[in-house]
Amino acid sequence: MEFTALFLAIAITMLVAWYGSRTLAFSLFAVVLIACVATFLHHATDALKLSF
Amino acid sequence: MTSHRAIALNVLALYALAALLAAAFTAQFILGELPCPLCLLQRIMFALLAIGPILNIRFGPRPSHYALSLLAAVVGASVSTRQVLLHIMPGDAGYGTALFGYHYYTWALIGFIAAIVLLSLVLLFDRQFEKAPTAHPTPGVIAHVAVWFVIGLTAANVASTLLECGFKACADDPKVYELLK
Repeated sequence: MEFTALFLAIAITMLVAWYGSRTLAFSLFAVVLIACVATFLHHATDALKLSF
Repeated sequence: MTSHRAIALNVLALYALAALLAAAFTAQFILGELPCPLCLLQRIMFALLAIGPILNIRFGPRPSHYALSLLAAVVGASVSTRQVLLHIMPGDAGYGTALFGYHYYTWALIGFIAAIVLLSLVLLFDRQFEKAPTAHPTPGVIAHVAVWFVIGLTAANVASTLLECGFKACADDPKVYELLK
């Protein structure tokens, strides 16, 4: 679900970058990037199933 | 490098990103391999990388636009490095099918590092930033098509991810489309 939301947020940011204001595009980019890093850190703290 | 040349390079970069997202889709549907959460995050970072070129084409080249792409490429490289390290032990078959000897996440890492190097090289050319933003030309048809390719593929990923994960967290090793079972 979080990935669907991220793709949707990026599509909206792209549309704003192409048709809307530059400042809004930058703000949306910042929000999406922080959300991506948070999602990555969430998955990076999963227990690793190592083979040794 | 003039502003016009820089914009042409940015249009080219958008086509390259569109080709990359299309290739990931092709592998997903032809090979029937569903992308894992980290694979999806790498696709997301490639899509996020496209925002810098879109801004460069619309408003003219600026260092801040390249900075956005650099940030996205650095986060993308971190994600793909994480996945490479998950499968680095000898005997580990890796996740998914290998393409020309490397798995997709290894290719993604190479792609993100290439993006960082190319963006740094393009930033060396100061002349592209000299033109006044008001004198920036209107984007042509080729640029419009490139932007809409990338937006279309990102929108297609919204639909595909929704089908794959449904309305809950994506499975670590997805085998079926949650909304189609």
